[in-house]
Amino acid sequence: MTALEQLQTDFQNFLLTLGDSMDEHVVGTTKFGTQERLAVYADAYRLRLLEALEDNYPALHTLLGDEEFDRLGRRYIDAHPSSHPSIRWFGHKMHELLREETPYRSQPVLSEMALFEWTLRGAFDAADESVCAIDDITGVTPQAWPKMRLQFHPSVTRLNLVWNVPALWKKIDQDKAPDKPKAEEYPASWVIWRQELQQFYRSVATDEGWALDAMIDGQNFGDICGGLCEWIDEQNVAVRAAGFLKQWINDGMVTSINV
Amino acid sequence: MSKNKTPTRPYLGFGLGLRTDHYDAVIKQKPDVDWFEIISENYMVPGGKPLYYLDKIRQDYPMVMHGVSMSLGSSDPLNQAYLKDLKALIKRVEPQWVSDHLCWGGVHGKNLHDLLPLPYNEDTIAYVADRINQVQDTLGRQILIENVSSYVSYTASTMSEWEFLATLTERADCLILLDINNIYVSAFNHEFDALEYLNAIPIERVQQFHLAGHQNNGHYIVDTHDHPVIDPVWELYAHAVRRFGAVSTMIERDDNIPPLEALLTELDHARSIAKPILEESVA
Ligand SMILES: [Fe+2]
Repeated sequence: MTALEQLQTDFQNFLLTLGDSMDEHVVGTTKFGTQERLAVYADAYRLRLLEALEDNYPALHTLLGDEEFDRLGRRYIDAHPSSHPSIRWFGHKMHELLREETPYRSQPVLSEMALFEWTLRGAFDAADESVCAIDDITGVTPQAWPKMRLQFHPSVTRLNLVWNVPALWKKIDQDKAPDKPKAEEYPASWVIWRQELQQFYRSVATDEGWALDAMIDGQNFGDICGGLCEWIDEQNVAVRAAGFLKQWINDGMVTSINV
Repeated sequence: MSKNKTPTRPYLGFGLGLRTDHYDAVIKQKPDVDWFEIISENYMVPGGKPLYYLDKIRQDYPMVMHGVSMSLGSSDPLNQAYLKDLKALIKRVEPQWVSDHLCWGGVHGKNLHDLLPLPYNEDTIAYVADRINQVQDTLGRQILIENVSSYVSYTASTMSEWEFLATLTERADCLILLDINNIYVSAFNHEFDALEYLNAIPIERVQQFHLAGHQNNGHYIVDTHDHPVIDPVWELYAHAVRRFGAVSTMIERDDNIPPLEALLTELDHARSIAKPILEESVA
């Protein structure tokens, strides 16, 4: 190990664990001593990352309150140091930590909120791609429909949520007091995406959620119709499936129709 | 003043750091800012608003790119994926120039998201000069490196920061983004003479100035970029203009961000300091 690598390893260990690994490397002055100098860096390290978490998880922050969010943030910072050049991606494992670790896992609404917020954040700066207009599908001949596949905008993400997090998020986003967290009996299907520069989210019926998953996965229209028979009578399936496709196109989720 | 004090370097005038809070005002008002500096990493994203506003504002203003994650002084290998993304952004923005900091930001694959100082010695100079050369080869252009504010001095340092910066930039044949506020902050924290620092920096290598505010905690200063520039830093700036001539100057504000008008007023103050000095030097 070079002297430089040793110094940087010791400095990094100090920032991450606050031990005494830097004491021998640093000289202070009488008015501004070694420990206080090092503390400037240690404080700044955590505050900067906490700020990044606050930016990425404003509604989770509101649900938890300042003190609890601070505690969670510091725990996250210790558990998952950043390895990405950009601080924009800091916090990507928040929903996992909340889902798996005590005391948070006993309040699953927290993990779902983190996942919802991270997904919105992802839609915000997902890649730009131009989307289809409804005319693009009306031009497809009836014979070509069964083999038709769709490509979706990079921002399109499906989530299944047991808790009422989108409703909570909306209230918090409008600076209103959120309702009580409520669990559904079954997970509700949601889709999040961006149209132009604006993020959107909406709930979808269970069969629409399944169809969307399947088409994102690369299945064709014929496959979707087959699968939808689980929920709908066979004679109504094609109309319902075609309705989904048109809705997705109108929502600006579809970037290409491949026949 | 002699002719070699106004070297032929690209000169953009007076700029500001582009911040999201000001996007709409910049687009609507087309303010009298000569150029903008962007934080490269903020636009190293796949798409959406950041790149939309970037492209839109770029149509109206010259831009320079300023990175925070190159980690030129890290003992880790250079992050080639990062440099590839940076190169793609350079292609999109076509900036007048590209800068990053003379610092390190993490080792063993971690990123501490800070601008940490280096030990000032011969080994570091050799190591970092080689890395700057690699970056300049990869990007196909000279880069500017910026002096950072610092709070610690290392036992491993054998020379002053200004000797280090001057020697390194000669060795690497790169340019300098001189942050006047950072010199002031580090001079205060390490009890050295800011003028001695300025006077040791090679004139022809300095291509950009940064100005910013900071937080004074009494016996030390933290470089917070959340206040207006203070008078002693303006004085140091005046001295820098006298020494270096016409150098593109900008104000960095990263926190407690005021309305655009307040920064325009502050930028006018920079103009009012520089203009008479520059006119005097051509006369
Ligand atoms: Fe700076």
